[in-house]
Amino acid sequence: MPGFGRSGRYAALLSGTAAMLLVATACNSGSTPGSGSIKIGASLPLSGPVADASKPAYEGYKIWLDQVNAGGGLLGRKVELKVLDDGFDQNAVVANYNRLISQERSDLLLGTFSSKLNLPASSVAERNKMLYVEPSGGAEEIFTRGYNYLFFAQPSTSLDLPKQFVRYIGSLPADQRPKTAAYPTQDDPNTDVTINEFRKDLTQLGVKAVYSEKYAPDTVNFDSIASAIAGAKPDLVVHGAVAANDGAGLVKALQKQQFSPKMMFQTNAPSLLQSYPQAIGEKNTEGIFTSAAWSPNSDYPRNAEFVKAYTKAYGSPPSDDAANAYTAGQVLEAAVKAVGSLDQGKLADWLHSHTVQTIVGPLKWDKRGVPDGDMLLAQWQNGRFEFVLPDSQKTVQKAINPKPGWS
Amino acid sequence: MGTLLQALILGLLVGGVYALVASGMNLIFGVMQVVNLAQGGMLILSAYLTYTLWEATGLDPLLLVVITTPCLLVVGWATYYIFIERSRTTDASMALVTTFGLTLVTKGVIALIWGNEPRSVTPDYANRSFSVLGLRFPQAQVYACLVAAVVLTGLYLLLRHTWLGQSIRATASSSEGARLIGIQVRSTWAAAFALGVAAAGAGGSLLSVLYPFMPSSADHWIGLMLSIIVLGGMGSLPGSVLGAVVIALAESLTSTYVSPDWAAAVPYLAIILVLVARPQGLLGARLREDMSRA
Repeated sequence: MPGFGRSGRYAALLSGTAAMLLVATACNSGSTPGSGSIKIGASLPLSGPVADASKPAYEGYKIWLDQVNAGGGLLGRKVELKVLDDGFDQNAVVANYNRLISQERSDLLLGTFSSKLNLPASSVAERNKMLYVEPSGGAEEIFTRGYNYLFFAQPSTSLDLPKQFVRYIGSLPADQRPKTAAYPTQDDPNTDVTINEFRKDLTQLGVKAVYSEKYAPDTVNFDSIASAIAGAKPDLVVHGAVAANDGAGLVKALQKQQFSPKMMFQTNAPSLLQSYPQAIGEKNTEGIFTSAAWSPNSDYPRNAEFVKAYTKAYGSPPSDDAANAYTAGQVLEAAVKAVGSLDQGKLADWLHSHTVQTIVGPLKWDKRGVPDGDMLLAQWQNGRFEFVLPDSQKTVQKAINPKPGWS
Repeated sequence: MGTLLQALILGLLVGGVYALVASGMNLIFGVMQVVNLAQGGMLILSAYLTYTLWEATGLDPLLLVVITTPCLLVVGWATYYIFIERSRTTDASMALVTTFGLTLVTKGVIALIWGNEPRSVTPDYANRSFSVLGLRFPQAQVYACLVAAVVLTGLYLLLRHTWLGQSIRATASSSEGARLIGIQVRSTWAAAFALGVAAAGAGGSLLSVLYPFMPSSADHWIGLMLSIIVLGGMGSLPGSVLGAVVIALAESLTSTYVSPDWAAAVPYLAIILVLVARPQGLLGARLREDMSRA
């Protein structure tokens, strides 16, 4: 047997280096304090496993910033945005917001992406008594800590996310409803809650759970999960995906098992308009459901301008993540303009007692920072991201059911 | 019983690919005692190259190993002379830091060229399976495992039956001894490094068909490679194969019978168990500290 080296004593060195895999980098650039400008700080996972989802969020922030500055800025001052990269690492995001507050002297903060990151990042903001408007991060546990400065810039949180889909299933004639469902989900504070709610609500509708498992965030190989799902033969698969990577990973593994459920709902991944169809093949998106916070077709104030500006700047229509980031900017903007100062306590008090008109609709928050709106039910149809529910927002007459097989 | 057999089949098929992926890193470590953390980046670079070539030409992505492997061989050769050789002259930790830096640079370059979006290579057979007695054999996995076996056999034969292979093994055993018998040690190190990276090139093409990939996927694969070669034994090609199969089977069985949540922890648990029970790995040789530097 060819042995091409020594071993034994290098084991410690070699295995020790495995720990370096956990190292994430926080890339940033030097700051240039503007004399009279308002500095807004944010951190986003621009590298790492959800980079594809946070890039549109960054672009949404940029579009909002450009529009605000084109309109004269805030309080008569130009607005600057400094975004640091946290690589989807909780330690890095905490370090970034501490830096934005204490070293960069940010006047205002905007939130990061995902519940995993917003959970610790919002704590940093709360400790420093700074307003924290988050474009993403709907996990219930984020809003149960009695925070005063935290506000969610989507119509509803993870708890309410299943509502429209469950309503849709409930509206189907009995013979068209799924009888069984599988619930694979990433071990994540957001998708955990959502999938639990799905399972609870659908069970009440008589849909029997035949598979229910979590997988680790760094899972790449979905073959065993897909094999178990295929073995259980569910009519419906409700997948708690965090980004296109795991969303596509499970779809590809199901394809390899040649198992195509009659209905499929995935969180987050299908709303990534560029990367999702690219990852699973456009034809395979047909009939897949997801929820969305925003529709490009709604007639809420500034929505059309946002869609037009974004499409012009980036060459493709905005995604849900871009719209949510823009919305967070709108919330911040409304509060600063109404209060007329950067007093963080007054800004939070104002948001707790007023409704803000945004591109996802009017947002009004309870004392936890949770809005009282509804998410939309969307579905891929003929290579387009269409809206199925509610009726006021729908862009197609009916949903595709059952889903066609994989192409 | 069917569930167990299915889990074993999936584990064995992916184990073959894991073996190829890890063999290059093991070769480099065995010959030079350099932990090449850039190997994950090279693997993903090859996956992106495969994606681009497949999109442009429509050629079968698994057959594209005949293009990606030589491409990565050249990349490995250049990387050795430009970065690794210099850093090795100080101490092992400098080479480690250098390869870690190369990983970051590789991921950054990939992101600049191809973006941060996940990609998949989806030939016609990616969605098909062979069905035997009710058991599924995903075609992509079967073909990838066969290609991996061919490449690994080629690597084995090269190391065993060619002058270059004998030079590599002699240099791995003792670089001073190799020099005394007329072997060009410097070029042998470069060749070993290039071959190791070329193996990642072949592995990247196979992975591109099996799983979606993005620049950050490099981190996952480095962890897996390290686990495999620690388990199998540093410097042992058969050890890489055995370690890969054991880890792939353990992942598959854990996912099926315990929870998918625990499957990702299997490689790291393997490292801990090996260090406690058999530090040299399953097929690694344990040498005396004073002898190994002789």
